Amino acid sequence: MLSHRLWTRLTPYLLIAPTLLLVLVFTLLPATRTLYDSLYQPARRAIEPSVFIGLQNYADLFDLTHYLGGRFLPILQNTVIFVFVSLVVAVPLALGFALLLNRQIRALGFWRFSLIYPMLLPLIGAASIWAFLYSDSIGLINTVIRSLGGQGQNWLGNPNLVLGSVIVVNIWKQAGYYSLFYLAGLQNISRDIYEAADLDGANAGQKLLWITVPLLRRTTLFIVVIAITFGFQTVEQLAALGLGNPADRSNLLLWFIFQNISERRNWGYVNAMTVILVSILLLFTVANFLIFERRGVEDERA
Amino acid sequence: MLKQFARWLFLSLLLLAPTTFAQTEPIVIDFYYPTAVEGPITEAMQRYADDFMAANPGIVINPIYSGSYTQTRETILTEINADAVIVDVAVMLATDLYSFIENAPIVPVQDFIDPLENAEDYTADFFPAMLANSQDMEGVIWSLPFQRSTPLLYYNADLLREAGYEEAPQNNEELIEIAQALTTEDRAGFLLPVAGAFPIWLYQSFAAAYGQPLVDADPTQVYFNTPESLAAIEFMTKIGLSQAEGGFGVGPLGGSAWGDTPAAFTSGAAAMIYHTSGSLTQILKDAEFEVGVSFLPSGPAGDDGTGYGAPMGGGNLYLFNDGSKSEAELAAMWAWVMYLTSPEVQADWGALSGYIAVRQSAWELDPLKTLTEETPQYAIPRDQMAVAVKEFDAYRSIDIQNIINPALSRILSTDAPLSEAPAILEEAQAQIDALLAEYR
Amino acid sequence: MNGRRFTTALTVIFAALWLAPLFFSILMSFRPEAEPISIGNIFFGSQITLENYQTVLTIAPWGLHYLNSVIFVVGVLIVQLFTVTLAGYAFARMQFPGRDFLLLIVLLQIMIPAAVLLVPNFATIRDLDLFNTHWALMLPYWGSAFGVLLIRQTFRGIPYELEEAARIDGATLFQVLRHVYIPLSIPAYLSFALVSISSHWNEFLWPFIITRSDEVRPLTVALNQLYQTSETGAQYSQLMAGTILVIAPLVVLFALFQRRFIESFASSGLK
Repeated sequence: MLSHRLWTRLTPYLLIAPTLLLVLVFTLLPATRTLYDSLYQPARRAIEPSVFIGLQNYADLFDLTHYLGGRFLPILQNTVIFVFVSLVVAVPLALGFALLLNRQIRALGFWRFSLIYPMLLPLIGAASIWAFLYSDSIGLINTVIRSLGGQGQNWLGNPNLVLGSVIVVNIWKQAGYYSLFYLAGLQNISRDIYEAADLDGANAGQKLLWITVPLLRRTTLFIVVIAITFGFQTVEQLAALGLGNPADRSNLLLWFIFQNISERRNWGYVNAMTVILVSILLLFTVANFLIFERRGVEDERA
Repeated sequence: MLKQFARWLFLSLLLLAPTTFAQTEPIVIDFYYPTAVEGPITEAMQRYADDFMAANPGIVINPIYSGSYTQTRETILTEINADAVIVDVAVMLATDLYSFIENAPIVPVQDFIDPLENAEDYTADFFPAMLANSQDMEGVIWSLPFQRSTPLLYYNADLLREAGYEEAPQNNEELIEIAQALTTEDRAGFLLPVAGAFPIWLYQSFAAAYGQPLVDADPTQVYFNTPESLAAIEFMTKIGLSQAEGGFGVGPLGGSAWGDTPAAFTSGAAAMIYHTSGSLTQILKDAEFEVGVSFLPSGPAGDDGTGYGAPMGGGNLYLFNDGSKSEAELAAMWAWVMYLTSPEVQADWGALSGYIAVRQSAWELDPLKTLTEETPQYAIPRDQMAVAVKEFDAYRSIDIQNIINPALSRILSTDAPLSEAPAILEEAQAQIDALLAEYR
Repeated sequence: MNGRRFTTALTVIFAALWLAPLFFSILMSFRPEAEPISIGNIFFGSQITLENYQTVLTIAPWGLHYLNSVIFVVGVLIVQLFTVTLAGYAFARMQFPGRDFLLLIVLLQIMIPAAVLLVPNFATIRDLDLFNTHWALMLPYWGSAFGVLLIRQTFRGIPYELEEAARIDGATLFQVLRHVYIPLSIPAYLSFALVSISSHWNEFLWPFIITRSDEVRPLTVALNQLYQTSETGAQYSQLMAGTILVIAPLVVLFALFQRRFIESFASSGLK
């Protein structure tokens, strides 16, 4: 009897054990190492031990005269803009796509495919397609604009346009992906609720605002968490879309981290930047859970 | 007599022993090669490996495609830092020398050249401009050139002729004059591909042409805030500025994107471009007009003919030893490197890939000899070797490039106005000097 | 009626905008090499050619790479389905000390960029003696924080009364999962499978670092060759041909999968 109770108590741990073990070995332990190494400065020669320097790496990153510090804050700002503009446009768009695709229409499969397929492309492949669309001298967009008599833009070369150009690609690739989860979420909303609202004389906008959006809150939470965590890490496209140029105006934090992995002497900074990145993500995730989940629990009880 | 015979027998057995041993237990060499140009590179590498193995039983060459130069460097650094060095021989940027001296267990090829009978002749057969990036300040050669290139001026000879120019521009003034004459509504007179990732490469050509190359033999010195730099950057920026804004008005603001520039040229959207010699094959294949190729035009330092400023580029062969390698393994690695840099292989590789064959004697061999005779454009990059300068390299080279490239990009894209250029160069130089201080 | 026409128009407009890049990249892959879009017909260029595909096919043993990609993707998905279901259930429906903390630990996986963990993970794989094997490709992906989060979120949306009813009938934990939770979560599983398959099919960095031979390397590593022409510049038509070769199986699978997808969505609309 006692052993049965013990067994019951152990069950949840056994269920999560495989996942936890893999996360421990391939993420948590190495990540702890990252935190530890962010307090050290690599020695001039690889064979010499690193030197403990406390929080100096972090201080340097916020020092504008430092060779990395001068670039870190503007790049962080770009990254936040990139993530939040993408989020604010792509998530409502995804809901829109899901609603459009959740109807009985002809050739539904075709429309669904059209809006969702970008998620299937490798990021670098998608980016190369867009590099061709954006190209100043031989690109599709400028060719079309010029044939209509307009003036082409240097989409990836103009410092004021480049971040926007990169954001557009991200929205194009992600909106359909997020709509997938909304589509799944929409299946769990009972038709009865809409029918009841119809009886009350609610119009389509009211039904969307007062029924669909609130009932999809948990899905939205999931998508927002995913969009933020992945958004901060979506950088491979830069390999084909200007590499962060011109003048870092499209550079993003993780790409900047990549750029510095090649130089061993910068690993202290690489680790410090990684810690900062993960802290930001943790902050958003925890805040999201606190705000949405607690309310969710209350709703469930109510 | 008998004693001598016994000794002979003993010696030959001794010689035989390692051979038979080697046959059962071959030496495996993991050879990393990146790609930076298109073409049947993988096929060629496998062919060289097969030919080498046929001639050298007991050695197995394992050619491993390792991505771009950056990806290759990251792979090697990952192995080193995980204490599991797999790479034996790698093609990496010639400019990675000081980065590798600090971070990776590379072996100087000088150790293998010195015992050669004809060591001096051997070294002299490499183009000196190519060796400039292989040598440290003491003259020790660390790596051997393998796939090298240099920027060239490509021009649409038909268009130039129509406009009354029989020859390529010889200096910067002529370049601008001709470019302005050839600029139309839908054609750029001259495209300077500096909008992409690495404006530093072409910047070096202007810096040298204005009289102060970015680097010299000393890996602790970088010259970025000189009056010559400023003049060079001003000239480069003006190419993209309209005449109304005080520029030359011959190309797009901020320059063109590196990768799109050859296609813009071959499709007639540009009359002249700067691009790597590595693009020659593709450009000749795609263009439906007469393609002219010439040295980069000279700059103001050039009144006495020294104002040419083409930097070198491309990859060298490095040997790695984490301390675990036997003499036999090192010898096998060196044999492979010797083979890849042999005139025979270089003549084939140069013709096939478009890289400049690194041995002067390779140019007397087929298929390269025939190619140069039939298509004289291929001889231009070779001849430019005579005036080419060392490519940027220094301690902390990656960091310093990451300082210089954004600084250049800010000015060239006019993200910051030209009037701020001196301050930007000063700031960049201060950061560079701070990094190099500990090495001086 | 007017509203219906409006939404249909919206669908068509967005579909056209979203499809355009794929449409033009397919056309581009049949254009003669290095021919800019401004030459010839904007859709078909000066002529249609298969040359790009022929060139691309010679750069690598594609059949082998396809096989490796399939092994990688399927091997990861199968194990993931088990691990995320078990952990997803525990986090969704069980109370135990340390639950929220452990969930946060698991979620760290999606917050930490894999690129900065390459060195230690490379060392781990070497220690396990798995370097340059299919196992090395798959192992780190067997646990999926994303999947755990998605399945947990889905399970929480299923009425607890259904589990209670089954428990009263004497169902064990695994029977409850099999007969209650999993059947009601098919859309979420399908979404997860699609995400898992497409992201691993397109994974580059880890396979690239942990393999050295064609016998193990997946498609993306071969495709990488086409992208790495930094010195001479991209050949868009070849690049598009290569990209299309790589994405074709996924795109075709997805197109076929549509029907199943829609059916599953329809049948799971439980209430």
